[in-house]
Amino acid sequence: MTQVQRPPAISAPTGRGDEVEIAILAPRFEEHAFPWRQIFGYAASLILTMAALLLVVHHVLPPVGLIVAILALATIQASLQLGLFMHLRESLGSTWHVVTLALAIVVALGIVIFSIWIMSFKSGVS
Amino acid sequence: MAQLIAKLFPSTVLRPMEIGADASILLAVLAVVYILTRYRKWGWLWREWITTVDHKKIGIMYLIAAIVMLFRGGVDALMLRTQLALPNGHFLGPEHYNEIFTTHGTIMVFFMAMPFIFALFNIAIPLMIGARDVAFPKLNAISFWLFAFAALLFNMSFVVGGSPNAGWTAYPPLTELHFNPGVGENYYLIALQITGIGSIATGINFLVTILRMRAKGMSLMKMPLFAWSALVTSSLVIFAFPALTIALALTMLDRLFGSTFFTIAHGGMPMMYVNLFWIWGHPEVYILALPAFGIFSEVVATFSRKRLFGYAAMVGSLVAITLLSYGVWVHHFFTMGAGAAVNAFFGISTMLIAIPTGVKIFNWIFTMWGGRIKTTVAMLWQLAFIPTFVVGGATGVMLAVVPGDYQFHNSYFLIAHFHNVLIGGVVFGLFSGLYYWWPKMFGYMLNERQGKWAFWFFVIGFWVTFFPQYLLGLKGMTRRIYTYPHGMGWTLLNLISTVGAYAMGIGFIILVYSVVYSWRHQERDLTGDPWDGRTLEWSLPSPAPEYNFAVLPEVTERDAWWEMKQAGKTGRIPAKDVHSIHMPRNTPMPFLLGLSFFVAGLGAVFSWWYVAVAGMMGVFIILVSGWFDYHDHHEIPAEEIRRNEAALGRLEG
Repeated sequence: MTQVQRPPAISAPTGRGDEVEIAILAPRFEEHAFPWRQIFGYAASLILTMAALLLVVHHVLPPVGLIVAILALATIQASLQLGLFMHLRESLGSTWHVVTLALAIVVALGIVIFSIWIMSFKSGVS
Repeated sequence: MAQLIAKLFPSTVLRPMEIGADASILLAVLAVVYILTRYRKWGWLWREWITTVDHKKIGIMYLIAAIVMLFRGGVDALMLRTQLALPNGHFLGPEHYNEIFTTHGTIMVFFMAMPFIFALFNIAIPLMIGARDVAFPKLNAISFWLFAFAALLFNMSFVVGGSPNAGWTAYPPLTELHFNPGVGENYYLIALQITGIGSIATGINFLVTILRMRAKGMSLMKMPLFAWSALVTSSLVIFAFPALTIALALTMLDRLFGSTFFTIAHGGMPMMYVNLFWIWGHPEVYILALPAFGIFSEVVATFSRKRLFGYAAMVGSLVAITLLSYGVWVHHFFTMGAGAAVNAFFGISTMLIAIPTGVKIFNWIFTMWGGRIKTTVAMLWQLAFIPTFVVGGATGVMLAVVPGDYQFHNSYFLIAHFHNVLIGGVVFGLFSGLYYWWPKMFGYMLNERQGKWAFWFFVIGFWVTFFPQYLLGLKGMTRRIYTYPHGMGWTLLNLISTVGAYAMGIGFIILVYSVVYSWRHQERDLTGDPWDGRTLEWSLPSPAPEYNFAVLPEVTERDAWWEMKQAGKTGRIPAKDVHSIHMPRNTPMPFLLGLSFFVAGLGAVFSWWYVAVAGMMGVFIILVSGWFDYHDHHEIPAEEIRRNEAALGRLEG
């Protein structure tokens, strides 16, 4: 595991007159000789997606079992992608991660739960 | 061959109006090509604009595109109003009318309001927060070119292949292949998908820019309110757009690949499309409105010459509106009949939004209270906004009352309501921002006198257009009908409404004339601070140099530039403080990426799969080569910056 040399970070001038200031967000992340982790994440995501598709296409389980199975596969894939691609473990400060993740979970759960509630109207009115 | 021609040019694109439009487009293109060639401007266009990654230039390109789209959407609107002016109109046929109201709505939301907002984000946000560019400049250019090529793809539809015609909401079963053959809806689905990628990228870009690139000392609670509105808008974009992506993708699968997600005959759920569409659609309303609120908060403070009243309450209500806006989407389809509990819940959550919005209205009024108000054009738009938006908000609360909504739903009352908030809130705000930041963008002032003429025509025209529509709704006129008989009691109100629409059109023409006139005749902005502004963008020359700030500012107070002026800390820059700056280098990659998406999209629209695959191969190759492009910086030497600042009279000694 090698830490690549970081470009100069944005900083207030020190007055020595020799530094270069960078105009964009200085990239700060770990880089490895070969991106094994990302390739694993990509392959695993493809396999999980294919698995969900095959389960449904061939009706391997009864409907309720199918829904539970594909929700489980989706949850695994979501956490895999968050962990492997979203630089969650590489952050300098975790405050914003907590805020955005909390908002993401609230919004995602809200959309799913409310949609089920809204769409169950067929049994409610008839 | 004959089949191909029939597919490319069905009868709907060969009507006299379409042929006329073809001819004028052709003439406009030839004129542009002639001018660029005659004055040898092709190289300039490529180097300075097409390949640029500078946020200020990207903002200007967004702005030009938005104005062009405002023209197209406005012409659509005038055609609709002409058809409806009198009973039994023959100006447009029923099919033609469907196409026009579909493209009017889609263009105004996706290709006018969104880019207009991104234009003002790009132009103002980095300057306001003391940054030299956005966090990811290349991604910013990618967002723009995805939008631009998506807009081109969408606008092509009425010339080649046929317009979409299922309304801007594109509900199934209207969009099902069985009921809606032809490629029109494919244009809608694919173009919106492409521009959606760009919008999400812009959301990420500005979220990161605002969180990570503020000037030293500018804590979140010292940010200008426009930056706050951009921050919460970005978070709305990021969390709301994926729902639209899914809704469009599933419809596309239904149409192009024979799936049945929304086909009721095969067990699909068309209502799920409606649900997904509005999970995005309601936050989208606030994606459009909150930036306008941010603009007004800057404009009202500057021209009242007071600091904004109740800053913390303003920030709190922005955040409250953001969170609440995720929980109200069912109010767009109460009449679907999801049951009393669901409708009651979403009715109440909708009414709750009126509270933080009311807080903001009062804060703007209290900002003006006791201030020395200067009625510039930017401020006039703000003054017109407050009563207009209050009416729009109040009719919104009326629509939120579920039993009432069963009466108002899909009537002209609804049409009047959402134009009331989207024009009275968003468009007034965008025009205010346009006048406010124009000198910062281009270095010259817009003519105030002409601006006031445009303002009065547009605002009075607006009320004349839309107030009768509330009454029409109450008299039972429903939306999306292409004509109506005599004796309904609708004739006079429709005629008045059409007159108002033409007045708005005249206002728009005066505005465009004023831009051209001012460019030739109006005074230059030499100080960089023509309005005696309060925020950091006014500390820079107009237009700002490529690197924005020769020396990054340090912020100690809210309204940083105003405080610097009060403390007398606005002197020239000491030469020793100027250092070399790494700037992002121009690259053709974003343009080529947009072009590849365009090719892929066109292939998908017509189901020419070899073209679509070739386009996506292009996307892949350009992305990969972009990743390994290590020459994406260039350095501006300190000496060059000193020379430039000295020429602007801003260097010490």
